[in-house]
Amino acid sequence: MEFTWIIGAEAGAGSMVTGRTLAKVFARGGYHVIGYPEYPSLIRGGHNTYQIRASDKEIHSPVKKNDVVVALNRDGIIFHREHINKGGVLIYDSEIDASSIRMPEGVSVFPVPLKQIIEQNKLDPRMANTITVGISLGLIDYPMDDFFKLLEKEFSRKSKEIVDLNVKAAKAGYDYVKGNFKGNFSIKFKPMKNDGNTIVIGGNEAFALGAVAGGVKMFAAYPMTPASSVLHYLAEKERDFNIVVKQTEDEIAAVEYAIGAAYAGVRAGTSTSGGGFSLMVESLGLSALSETPVVVFLSQRPGPSTCLPTWTEQGDLRFALHASQGEFLRVLIAPGTVDEEFYLGAEAFNFAEKYQLPVIVMSDKFLSESHFSARKFEPSKVKIERGEIASNPKALKPMERFERYKITKSGISPRTFPGTQNGMHVATSYEHREDSFSSENFENRVEMVDKRARKQKLLEKDIPLPKIYGKKDAPISIICWGSQLLPALDALPILEAKGVHANVIHFAYLYPLPKRIRALLKAAKNTIMIENNSTAQFAGMLKEFLSFRPNVLALKYDGRQFFPDEVADAVEKAKADKFRRKVMRVVDKGEYEYYNPALYSEVR
Amino acid sequence: MATLEDFTVREKPQWCPGCGDFAINMAIKNALVEIGAEPHNTVIVSGVGCSGKMPHYVRSYGFESLHGRSLPPASGIKLANHELNVISVGGDGDGYGIGMGHFIHIMRRNYDLTYIVHDNQVYGLTTGQAAPTTQKGMRTKSTPYGNLEDPVHPLPIALTMGATYVARGFAGDLKHLSALIAGGIKHKGFALIDVLQPCVTFNKLNTYQYWQQRCYKLEDKGHDASDHAKAMEKANEDWTSNYEKIPIGLFYKENKPTYESELPQLKTPLLKHGIKPVGLEAAMDEFI
Repeated sequence: MEFTWIIGAEAGAGSMVTGRTLAKVFARGGYHVIGYPEYPSLIRGGHNTYQIRASDKEIHSPVKKNDVVVALNRDGIIFHREHINKGGVLIYDSEIDASSIRMPEGVSVFPVPLKQIIEQNKLDPRMANTITVGISLGLIDYPMDDFFKLLEKEFSRKSKEIVDLNVKAAKAGYDYVKGNFKGNFSIKFKPMKNDGNTIVIGGNEAFALGAVAGGVKMFAAYPMTPASSVLHYLAEKERDFNIVVKQTEDEIAAVEYAIGAAYAGVRAGTSTSGGGFSLMVESLGLSALSETPVVVFLSQRPGPSTCLPTWTEQGDLRFALHASQGEFLRVLIAPGTVDEEFYLGAEAFNFAEKYQLPVIVMSDKFLSESHFSARKFEPSKVKIERGEIASNPKALKPMERFERYKITKSGISPRTFPGTQNGMHVATSYEHREDSFSSENFENRVEMVDKRARKQKLLEKDIPLPKIYGKKDAPISIICWGSQLLPALDALPILEAKGVHANVIHFAYLYPLPKRIRALLKAAKNTIMIENNSTAQFAGMLKEFLSFRPNVLALKYDGRQFFPDEVADAVEKAKADKFRRKVMRVVDKGEYEYYNPALYSEVR
Repeated sequence: MATLEDFTVREKPQWCPGCGDFAINMAIKNALVEIGAEPHNTVIVSGVGCSGKMPHYVRSYGFESLHGRSLPPASGIKLANHELNVISVGGDGDGYGIGMGHFIHIMRRNYDLTYIVHDNQVYGLTTGQAAPTTQKGMRTKSTPYGNLEDPVHPLPIALTMGATYVARGFAGDLKHLSALIAGGIKHKGFALIDVLQPCVTFNKLNTYQYWQQRCYKLEDKGHDASDHAKAMEKANEDWTSNYEKIPIGLFYKENKPTYESELPQLKTPLLKHGIKPVGLEAAMDEFI
């Protein structure tokens, strides 16, 4: 049982908030839910959408087709009319002059006089969203109680009047559809049993909570889509969580605040997207050479340059792997789900402190800003490992410094924090001796390079193997990393229904890649790798570090993530071609062209 | 009580003989002793340049960051543990050139930290190019036909941006400089001490003699450091007098709440919070 719904409206009309609230309604009803926003890079006008997919089975990703389309503007009709399932409903505001618009066939077209409903009920024009949720719930006979409770939760901070008006708006929508919808819509939903522990959360918020569970005390950032909501969420909660959150003048300052705070002994991090990460690059090297831990959350969007700021891509992997001059060790982690954003987000701080190096957590617009139902996270499952800290070093002789960079077998040297007696040293961007004084001695240089590099051995033991989803011995393996796990997981039942058996091998830990992973990859029979970029960056890393080549590469880089049917298609094509080595390019049709004058001419 | 010896390192500073940095190094140590600081609760933070070597030459905690990036890690350190004495040092290229953005913005925040700028009007460590504070017309390696730009005036900028302790010292007057730095560390808020520091190798214009002939002390003229308008007038006197009269001393001092004091989370330093299990139940309920 599945229901897919999309609302399309001008930016600024409030459809994002409304969409998310409806997603919560279904999650409260025990359904698995995906909430998926798309929007262009502007604040008013343009066209925003929010899609909800709800199912009684586990789902992970948005899909292209909808059962119900709610269009609050003309673009909404034009952009979504081709994406309605047979027997679906197109609801639109009857104020829209649709006379010149071609309507889709095989679906119920249902104009609603929103303006009239608003006037009759003395509502605020902004409540059109709420009315359409009432209409949509009416269509599927879904009880309204949870929606009312959520309206109360959402608006009670403003005033009781606003709550009451919204409830009235929802009821008016519900009643309208019951009295006026003459079409035939077969999907009916009922709330199921639920223990009340299902949350609906975005990747950014999940990472932010993970960072807090992981003990972050100072978080500094500069706004950048699609990473900004990490900053927003932590800033809103800084007093509740008893942490300090700072918006800085730029990304250089943000990462350097974090490195400074980490040097002073607290867990610290920052968040950004590719452009901001570019500014942080030099400081990554500072973290590495001074062996000061730092966690950088990098939510990717298409590049280079400003490019497509509100869309998605996995194009920054090689950049993150090599960013900054010189050679140094780092850890790259790419969570595949909101659960992993939380648990691996927390874990990132352990890696940073245990190995005293920069850790980059890679998300992307798709995972960062979409919403997913999940079980409440359990902070008690997060273990804190701070690595080697000398809290009571032996007394120093006059003029002597603490040996902060002591050459050790493991490569890890105990840290001291300012305030600790006898721990005085300099954390420095220059090459240095064991006692931290700058040194240009050749032998010392080699010893220090080797010491820092030695950490990789222990670190690799700590890196978990990639996860296999589905049957271990499936004849086909879909290999992916980061967020593309989600469409890949949803491709499995599509393939299964066609008698194609496959599993998913997912990498959340991208670097370093320990050799022991090789056995797992070699055991895979026919392999297809999906990546949300044009140059198969991770496939290149698998070849470089593990001497492994997948049979087929399927690449998508049009600004959106893979959809489940695209993954399934690619697998089927690869299979039909007997998994001969090949690169496939997956491109959406251009129906989402927001600035396409041809489409606009039909409207205006 | 810590003594000068406690702040002294074994290594000899690698500055040119006669460099003004020696005096700044000594002034910092004098000031630390005077205010009763201990090596383990003091952090000297620097960028990169001749001034960037300072953390190595004061025996305390130190953080030698990247070129131009002295203030951001100093801010992070202060937020993480505001009980520390945090002294940020920089050069005129480091602080007023590549790091100018940080300089402007930190003054809006009034963190309780001290910023000492080695202002020698030239790039020293990269062997003598024009700096943001290089006077118009001066020939340097990068301006062989004479510098076409007007210099940055750090003190009026600091007064405009809300710095709460604004001073200028001279590396040729150690006692006076030590007192200015001690005053800056004691001051609760952001203290800027711009130090006229002769670069004996690359700046043949702004020499010890040059400054000695032109500098006078504000306190000798009865300057009222609580008067912002007067402070601004004095801060502009160097360039408006065509560098004939150059005031040094404390230009301005104001008591204003520090950034740290306005954060309820910082009742105790973040470092002392430790890492305790965080209750996220209420936060997660908002996602239901």
